[in-house]
Formats: sequence, C-alpha cells, structure tokens
Amino acid sequence: MPKLIERKLIILFLVATVALPMVHAATPEIVLEIRNHLFEPDIIRIPANTKVKLVIFNLDSTPEEFESYELNREKVIMGGRKAVIFIGPLSAGEYPFFGEFNPQTAVGKVIVEDENDAAE
Amino acid sequence: MLLNSVIIVLREVLEAALMISVLLVLTRLLHANGRWLWRALLLGLAGAVFYGSQLEKISEFFDGVGQEIVNAGLQFFVFAALLVCTFLVTRSFRQSTERPRLLPAAMAWAVGVAVAREGSEILVYVSGFMQSDNFFANVSMGSAIGACIGFSTGVLLYYLLLMMPPGRSRFTAQVLIALIGAGMCAQATRLLIQADWLSVEGPLWDTSSLLSEYSTAGQLLYALIGYEASPSMIEVMVYVGSLLLMGVMFLSANAMDRGPAEATA
Repeated sequence: MPKLIERKLIILFLVATVALPMVHAATPEIVLEIRNHLFEPDIIRIPANTKVKLVIFNLDSTPEEFESYELNREKVIMGGRKAVIFIGPLSAGEYPFFGEFNPQTAVGKVIVEDENDAAE
Repeated sequence: MLLNSVIIVLREVLEAALMISVLLVLTRLLHANGRWLWRALLLGLAGAVFYGSQLEKISEFFDGVGQEIVNAGLQFFVFAALLVCTFLVTRSFRQSTERPRLLPAAMAWAVGVAVAREGSEILVYVSGFMQSDNFFANVSMGSAIGACIGFSTGVLLYYLLLMMPPGRSRFTAQVLIALIGAGMCAQATRLLIQADWLSVEGPLWDTSSLLSEYSTAGQLLYALIGYEASPSMIEVMVYVGSLLLMGVMFLSANAMDRGPAEATA
C-alpha cells in the first residue's frame, strides 16, 4: 500500500513539474506604462478565450488606480511601482479601462479578437 | 478634478456608511449602546493610515498580487464579523434579558476593518495630490463633498429603516446585513480571480445594458448589495453560499433558545 502511494506521489510530482511551468508559459504577458497620467499603449489587443497577464509600470510619482467595470478589475498602483493584473479569458469585444485617479486623461481599452479575425 | 474626487471618495465612504447605518439600526432596536461606533472609527482610522502607508510593500507580496490577497482577506474578515453579528443580534432579539458582550465588539471589528480598507484608498488618493498646491485644494474640497454625500446617504438609510414598524425594520436590516456580507465575499472572490488565485471561464450573464455599473443606481447597488453586471460562475456561487451561511446563522440562533425541552422532544 505505501508503495502505491509512493508511486502516486511520484507521478503527481512529475505531472506537477511538467504541467505547472506549461500553464505559466501559456499565460501571455503584456507590458503597459503610465506616464503623465496616460496609458502607453492605450490600446491592447489580446486573443479571445485566453488569460493574459498585464504588467503595468506607473512611471509617475503619483499613485493611480487601474479600473475597469467591463473587465471587473480594480487595483491601486503606487507611484514608481509596477502592478500585476490578470484578465480574461474573455469573449471578443472591447473592454474600456481607465485610471480612476485621473480619468480625464488615463483611458484605454482592451480589444479582444477571435483568432480567425486576427489572422485575416 | 473636483467632481472626480467627489465620486472616488463617495464610492469608498458609501459602502462603510451603509453598513454602519444598518448596524446602528439593529443596535437601536435592541436598545443597546451605540458607543462601539467610536471604537470602530478609531480602529478604522488607525488601520487606514497603517494600511495606506504600507500599501507599496504589501503590493509586492505574493509575486505582485499582495494587494488583492490582503484586501480579499480583509473582506472575508468583515464577512465573518457580520456572521457573528447576525448570530448575536438574532439571539438578543429572542432573549431580550441577555445582552451579549461580544456583540458591540463584533460590530466594531466589522466596521473598523471596512473603514480601514476603504479609508486607506482615500488616503492614497489624496496623498497623491499633496505636492501640487493647485490640485490639492480642489481634491480636498471634492473629497469633503463626497464624504458628506456618503454620510448623508447613510443617515437617510438609518432614518428610513427606523421609520418602519419595528418588526419590518429588524427584518429589513438583517436582510441588508446578509446582502452586504455576500457582496463583500463576491468582491473578495473577484480580487482572487484578478490575482489568478482562482481561474474562471467567461461571465455567467451580462446585465450592463439593463443596469450599468457606471450609473448612480448601479453604484448605489454595488455599495449596498455588491451589484456586478457580468459576474463569473464562482462569484455567483460564493454570493449565494454567503447568503446561505448567513441564513444558517440566523436559523441556528433562533433554534437555540427554544430550549433543550423542545430540542429533545
């Protein structure tokens, strides 16, 4: 019995070591910057039904809050710091986001595209 | 800039103000002392200053999603405190002779932690404008207006609830506590999704064309019952699960003082 458990654990370990990095590698990363209360880039294109990791660098000295009702996301990013936000998987469409602390200037959107459309 | 500060601060203050009103109504209906509120606000203020000043460090935890994890933890803590409140309030209504000592403490912790979380965000926002004189005047003015509207809404809810007959007032207040608690759990779940600690498929439904989260009604319902236009399956499950848990608390508190005689029969 213990041997069986041992073998199961080894298999589990092997699966975990192989599968986990794969899952991680499969999450595409997109880098954004906030500078002078503007998002750069302010339009992000991502494929449909895919989880994406947004890495946002706030190059301003003041804090900003990344906010999107459509994406259901909300996060304070302190001045001179970076933040990680996961979005998706999403269906095709446009998802606006804004900087809540400077909503007049800090605006952008995520455009989610079906793979077929993107290929054309 | 002015209007923007009004909205930001209002949104943060509103959630806490509504919770405070409902808990105060229950306190009043139980003829208990409302002094716990001062302790709660003191705790909240101290917590907000501490959390706000540490946010930069906290954000770095857990590979950059510390903010989400800590915020979600705080939300679940408030929910747990509200569960205790529901249990003790229900019991107190059944046995008016006994006044549980734990009740003011549970209310103070629920409000204190909620105020700390929301207050820290206001502090971070306002502190960002400290350096620029021309903006700071506008921002502090706007924040004050936003806070006043938030408090007024809370006061309005307080008197609306107290104007009802006591039975209905108590029922409405207890239902609101359950909805506020469930909303917090759904919010916490959303934060765990944002941090990639929970994985989701797409949203279960989308009511943004019916009631937008940008609208005043949407914002008010968000603060009160955690309205979300396009929730995922897991958020809905957590919301319903929290309501059920609150219901179990209510029922078990009600069943307890039927006494052992009835329980064994």
